[in-house]
Amino acid sequence: MIREVNSLDLLYLVAAGRWTLALTAMAFVGGGILGLAIMMLRIAPLKPVNWLAVGWIQAIQGTPLLAQIFVFFFGFAIFGYKVSPWVAAGVAFSIYASAFLAEIWRGCVEAVPRQQWEASAALGLSFPQQLRYVVLPQALRVAIPPTVGFLVQLIKNTSLASTIGFIELTREGQITTGATFRPLTVYGIVAVLYFLICFPLSQWSQHLERRLNVAR
Amino acid sequence: MSLVRLEDVTKRFGQLTVLDQVSLKVEPGEIIAVIGRSGSGKSTLLRCINGLEPIQGGRILVEDDVVNDPKTDLRKLRQKVGIVFQSYNLFPHLSVERNITLAPTVVKKMPPAEARKLAEEALARVGLSDKIDAYPDQLSGGQQQRVAIARSLAMQPKVMLFDEITSALDPELIGEVLKVLEALARQGMTMLLVTHEMGFARNVGTRVVFMHHGKVWEQGPPAQVLGNPQTPEMKSFLGSVLH
Ligand SMILES: Nc1ncnc2c1ncn2[C@@H]1O[C@H](COP(=O)(O)OP(=O)(O)OP(=O)(O)O)[C@@H](O)[C@H]1O
Ligand SMILES: [Mg+2]
Repeated sequence: MIREVNSLDLLYLVAAGRWTLALTAMAFVGGGILGLAIMMLRIAPLKPVNWLAVGWIQAIQGTPLLAQIFVFFFGFAIFGYKVSPWVAAGVAFSIYASAFLAEIWRGCVEAVPRQQWEASAALGLSFPQQLRYVVLPQALRVAIPPTVGFLVQLIKNTSLASTIGFIELTREGQITTGATFRPLTVYGIVAVLYFLICFPLSQWSQHLERRLNVAR
Repeated sequence: MSLVRLEDVTKRFGQLTVLDQVSLKVEPGEIIAVIGRSGSGKSTLLRCINGLEPIQGGRILVEDDVVNDPKTDLRKLRQKVGIVFQSYNLFPHLSVERNITLAPTVVKKMPPAEARKLAEEALARVGLSDKIDAYPDQLSGGQQQRVAIARSLAMQPKVMLFDEITSALDPELIGEVLKVLEALARQGMTMLLVTHEMGFARNVGTRVVFMHHGKVWEQGPPAQVLGNPQTPEMKSFLGSVLH
């Protein structure tokens, strides 16, 4: 029953890595759009809307990601909707990312001096115009490093999607282990593959951070 | 009709009363120098006029618009009231041209070509025609402040508020900014300016307003107020700035 880990296994693992990347991309794009909207609600000059955003952020940051994934996968099933692991994971990770990105980006927006808001308000710009033309372009500069940092976390966290049968890198590792009974070798390879995805991103993020510090 | 009218305006920050029943009328073409000690409420006065700070009592009017009426469209009102700050507050990520054309194109929906012409004209008025493509961090403090004035002028306001716009500048750069203000005064711009430049207040101002403890303590023609102060507070203030 026990066999060596062969090159075909490796190929399958690498192939499964694509789904790790696909889920990450989905969560990042979905969470980015949603997170931008929530960040704006969070800072908009309207209290009830702020509370709504705070509630969203707190609820998501205060519960385990695994629980969120289960809610979407099993929760929908209870109401008679059968959702695929793809949909459940995509939605759960997007929502998870939205809360964290909203908070990261709010910090970046608040790093823009208050006087920039005042100067643009005094010229008659509306809140959305202030954001779009004055504040967000300046916040973007500081936003890149922490955003990439979160992306790296996100990639590693997609491994939790394996619990609902979403076949990505970690799940493929479990399957390969089941076939070979060589967990150490297989998870070693899995770890290396994660590292190969995340390391360049971390490096890039640090590079951007250094460049920003020099530009100051 | 007065261009700007303050009626018994009271402004508080928490328990602290910063403007205490201030009444003031600004007629078209007037150049009012607001003077007073640090903390007397000069900046707050200006910031209330264009609605950057809400007030707790009284009324502020710019022409017919009541600034502190929640129904007033503050964005419309601010097109009539330009303000320039001590710290310039240019948009660092935008070129000089874009700093100036942003509000005309975005707020007034002016076509880009027309806005560019406007920027050229505004820069000519502050003597910086050659800097249209520069970025704020490539300019000296005096030049940045002149761009900030041009940016405000490009919205064609009816009244301009200046809050100690030379205070952050090196002494040798103050003159170039004051020259721009003098030119504006000659062209008939209505101005309300907080300043520590007593010479400027005397020579260019049509009225001097002395603020003390959040009140308009003394006001009148510059020669009279500065030359013959009526209150001990004004006397001691003048003593401290002139020596
Ligand atoms: N946002 C704020 N929150 C609380 N207090 C404030 C705020 N802004 C101003 N103050 C207080 O209001 C008072 C008046 O401030 P203001 O800036 O109008 O004074 P000023 O006459 O312009 O002084 P300076 O010459 O130093 O600029 C000060 O005591 C100041 O501490
Ligand atoms: Mg002040």
